[in-house]
Amino acid sequence: MIPTGTVPEIVLTLGIAIALAPLFGRYLANVYSNGPSVWDPIVGRVERAVFWIMGVDPRRPMTWSQYAKALLLTDGIAIGFVFVLLQLQSGLPNNALGAPSMSWHLAFHTSIAFGTNTDFQHYVPEEQASLLSSLFGLQLLMFTSPATGLCVFAAMARGFSRKDGRLGNYYSDFVRTLTRVLVPVTVLGAIALVLLGVPETLTQTAQILPLTGGHESIPLGPVASWDSIEFLGTNGGGFFTANAAHPFQDPTSATNFVAILLMLSIPLASPFAFARLVRRPGEATPLFATILTIFLAGFIVFLVFEGSNHFLPVTVNQGAGYLVGAETRFSISESALFQFSSVYSNTGATNMALGSLTPLSQTVLMFGMFMQSTPGGVGTGFGTLLINVVLAVFMGGLMVGRSPEYLGKKIGMPQVKWAAAAILSHPFSILIPTALAMVIPGVLQSAIGGYTPHGFTVLLYEFSSESANNGSGMGPINDGTMFFNVAGALVMAVGRYFPAVAMLAIAGSLAQQEPHRPGPGTLKTRSVTFWFFLVAFIVIVTGLLFLPVLALGPFSQMVGGP
Amino acid sequence: MATIPATALAVRKTPRISFGGALKQSFIRFGPRTMARNPVMFVVYVFTIFTALITLLPSAFPDLSGPGFSRSYFLAITLILFLTVWFATLSESIAEAQGKAQAESLRQIRTGTRARRMRPDGSSEFVDSNALHKTDVVWIGAGEIIPLDGDVFQGVAEIDESMMTGESAAVIRESGGDKTSVLGGSRLLRGKILVRISVDPGGGFLDRMIRLVESATREKSPNELALTLLLSAFTVSLLVVILTFDYMLTASGAIVVSLGTLIALLVCLMPTTIGGLLPAIGIAAVNRVSYANVIAKSGRAVEAAGDLDVLILDKTGTITTGNRIAVEFIPARGVSKTDLTAAAALASSYDDTPEGRSILRLAFRRSPARGGPPPQIARVLPFTPERRVSGVVMADGREVLKGAVASIESVTGPLEAELGQAARRAADQGMTPLAVCQDKTALGVILLKDVVKPGIPDRLRELRLMGIRTIMCTGDNRITARAIAHESGVDEFVAEAKPETKLELVNREKAAGRLVAMTGDGTNDAPALARADVGLAMNSGTTAAKEAGNMVDLDSDPTKIIEVVSLGKQLLITRGGLTTFSVTNDVAKYFALLPAIFVGVGGVTFLNVLRFHNPPIAVLATLLFNAFIIPLMIPVALRGAPFRPRTAVALLRNNILVYGVGGFVSAFVGIWLVYVALLYLVGSPWFAPFVHLAVQALGS
Repeated sequence: MIPTGTVPEIVLTLGIAIALAPLFGRYLANVYSNGPSVWDPIVGRVERAVFWIMGVDPRRPMTWSQYAKALLLTDGIAIGFVFVLLQLQSGLPNNALGAPSMSWHLAFHTSIAFGTNTDFQHYVPEEQASLLSSLFGLQLLMFTSPATGLCVFAAMARGFSRKDGRLGNYYSDFVRTLTRVLVPVTVLGAIALVLLGVPETLTQTAQILPLTGGHESIPLGPVASWDSIEFLGTNGGGFFTANAAHPFQDPTSATNFVAILLMLSIPLASPFAFARLVRRPGEATPLFATILTIFLAGFIVFLVFEGSNHFLPVTVNQGAGYLVGAETRFSISESALFQFSSVYSNTGATNMALGSLTPLSQTVLMFGMFMQSTPGGVGTGFGTLLINVVLAVFMGGLMVGRSPEYLGKKIGMPQVKWAAAAILSHPFSILIPTALAMVIPGVLQSAIGGYTPHGFTVLLYEFSSESANNGSGMGPINDGTMFFNVAGALVMAVGRYFPAVAMLAIAGSLAQQEPHRPGPGTLKTRSVTFWFFLVAFIVIVTGLLFLPVLALGPFSQMVGGP
Repeated sequence: MATIPATALAVRKTPRISFGGALKQSFIRFGPRTMARNPVMFVVYVFTIFTALITLLPSAFPDLSGPGFSRSYFLAITLILFLTVWFATLSESIAEAQGKAQAESLRQIRTGTRARRMRPDGSSEFVDSNALHKTDVVWIGAGEIIPLDGDVFQGVAEIDESMMTGESAAVIRESGGDKTSVLGGSRLLRGKILVRISVDPGGGFLDRMIRLVESATREKSPNELALTLLLSAFTVSLLVVILTFDYMLTASGAIVVSLGTLIALLVCLMPTTIGGLLPAIGIAAVNRVSYANVIAKSGRAVEAAGDLDVLILDKTGTITTGNRIAVEFIPARGVSKTDLTAAAALASSYDDTPEGRSILRLAFRRSPARGGPPPQIARVLPFTPERRVSGVVMADGREVLKGAVASIESVTGPLEAELGQAARRAADQGMTPLAVCQDKTALGVILLKDVVKPGIPDRLRELRLMGIRTIMCTGDNRITARAIAHESGVDEFVAEAKPETKLELVNREKAAGRLVAMTGDGTNDAPALARADVGLAMNSGTTAAKEAGNMVDLDSDPTKIIEVVSLGKQLLITRGGLTTFSVTNDVAKYFALLPAIFVGVGGVTFLNVLRFHNPPIAVLATLLFNAFIIPLMIPVALRGAPFRPRTAVALLRNNILVYGVGGFVSAFVGIWLVYVALLYLVGSPWFAPFVHLAVQALGS
């Protein structure tokens, strides 16, 4: 059962997140329609300087392939830089804790993890990353990767609203995202977190004298600013191994609340920003409703199965909820809301031990990563939702006997082709490596000690999280090996760039179309029926593709019923 | 429930198809090359061969036929997979057989025709119709069959086209004007004509139609291609899902699952229902259009019809009958209505025009029983361009005339003020006033009106519901046009249209990104017909018009365009509905199959809502249901999904309920029924020896 005493907290937190979404959406729309803003006197100058140094003309719009090339180039340079940095860090300054240089495959995995907005951590932050690597390497990627996601988002919105075949200028979008969205909000968030008790210092250790004698050094650092972009950019990589379960990262209920707001801010604002950018503000409603429906339904299931473990004998008192693996500093509901929001927004920060969750809670979390779109990570989560919309509109159009169209653009062969590729690449990049890990001799044994239903769940979770660019990990798994580093890095790259390119291709093909004025015969997407259809479409298609592995994993863990 | 107008779907000439032929064809389709054209069924096909090999030669697959291998289980799976593929080929064969039968019945018309070809020197020779070529001139007399499509360039004739069009009334074809076109295969009843052949043998409309319905290499429409791609992508994903699942299961070592079960799981999840029926749906749609006596030059045109945004309609012939009909008599002061009615009837008694006949009809309705001696008519005064009035001279010397108000006024002097005003008011409302006079005294006015065809306002309302805007095009003045537009309910009208107006309209709408349809029959219409997305040419029209349009209506009924729209929508809905049905079926199949795979695994048993306790039977039941749903859906594929015009959202709601929820529920019920039936069968005493025999026959 849901612990009823904490319901007001949940309602308040989600209520504020939902109330902020349209306002922030309006702000985002202004940024991507190059509208004027109060920042102009300051950031306008900075931006012009950056463009001058880069030698780009921000007003020259790009075709989808130019846009995609610019995106891949920018990310490639950033990831390549960090890949090298991590392998050289032991000889570089600012390494007070003496982190050794990473092996090539760990550096490969880590740089791609941060560059793809996954932030899956196979390394131990306190021991294996120097402050230099963290601040100028990993944190750099924590800014560029959500910026990339928002660029894809902006380009898709332009695909639905423009007719000149152009998606805008990538470099302009990228820089404006940093100067007008990510940096200012990160600063605000960091200030709030500092005020609420999160440390922000360049001191790398705190020396304490425990009562047991001797002395202990506790790692420290600029945690608040890291936290702020970790959540805002739906990155999710922790400053500490324990991530949000570490008291320096998420000390109080208040910081927990701020973290949830930051994680949900851009993903929930995206439908509103999109609808404004395509000049049909009303179209935000069905999209937002779809996200909210699946999000809330999932959360209620999650909460019910964390509220109590149905497998335990009735003699076990679970009055405060099933607390195994939960963050006991907070109530089960606060803990659960953080964890659920983190996984469903593909942030991947954790404050619970995911391996200790009840099987159905694990199922719900994995289902969120399979869907990736409710609301999903910054930019790309909403992009995935739009891809689902494209396919649902196609099916819906057939069902009403009319060639499908969305926002006045016809959905035909090119869009269906790319949308199908984007949606279906996800199961490929989860299931194939999972099967490989089981088939290649020795891998399964060394990772999880042979097949058990729970071990399989952990393995499946690993690749699901990487393919969805989520980054949360379930234990116990020994994934610091070459196989998991290399396979994981490839899965993250495929899970990131294949759909991103497909989204840009769809946008590019739509941007060439003259918009079609919707008539009464057009399927109205702003209707309860379409909302229902979209929700059913997403859930059923996802279920059909992933039910067998869910049966082999979490379902098999349950003995005697859920 | 009001379905689409009966005429649209009424199969006027239900072709009797040869089931033997369809059966044979369904097996011919098993060739690998033919199968490969349908990706979804091709996968099933490959697995059928695979399971058949395992059944026949288990020793060749030692990995697969290890402990727990059941040959009879694989045999059963092979047979059901074979059925699945066969049902799909059968559905396509039946659809094609229907098309062939339709083509055959048309082809019979044109066998063995002899034609009299004119030589340049004026003499003639008899040749076989197949020896005729374009631009040849043939002479055709009464009772002869017109050998090939052509244009009359001399003479006038009455022609029976009923064999081609089903329309029993004869049509008039004459040189000059817009009614010059004759159809190969029709019979000349009266008159004699010289016809210039406009096609080469095999190039006529019949031949085109025959080729269209017969051609196996039918071009796929854009939506069909996109759907095929989506279904293929889904199939490939499921292949990966099940293949990786197989490896995971094997590696886990926790559960031993027969490969046959996994193949069954794959095939059940694949969209075999829509995959199997997709070709049949496309063929059947073209067939349905041809049953409605419309030749669609491509399947693409039929699909486009479902997508229309704008329909440009001719006023005359489409919205109105084209004949003005008497609707009211307004007597002059001091004249009784009865006297006016009698005079109007007298003046029209020898007027054979539709207007004249309508005056008689109205007069008869107004005062049907008039006793007394029949009026004695001495002389008829026919309408001449000089006199501009018509009427009769009675035996008693009275002269009764009718004509346009101005013409009568030239006989009688100006009408009295009140009557003149009534006439003008009527004209303002789009009516035509005719005045009637007797011996230079005006008796009153007859009001004629262009009458909207019965049923047209309803049809136009349905079109609006489907989101199609209608534009009426007429050469009439604005006043008349507005009156008709108002009465019929078209969304927009263009009055005083010139021949090029239609082309301008089509261009204007297309420039705004809309899909446009129009009907036409004249050579003037040809450019617009060619430019429109759907151009429905009238069979009675000129060859140029028919060449330009992408559909030809053999009945020459312009309202047919509305039915074609419904047929196009129906085509898309059938595809979309069956796809949704396929997908929601899958949900139920998982509930049946996963518990059968994870036997005794605690957590998965909660999926076993159907309470199946015999896993192999559960698998076979699901697979059988998956196979038999195809023939059960063949009628839907061939007849098209029921469709009635309404808003898109209402349609979506309805179809989610019918195909989505329906698919979900029917699969649960269907699988359960098959399971129970199979259990009973297997338990029955005569079944075991039968299985035993089958296995022995294989020589295990």
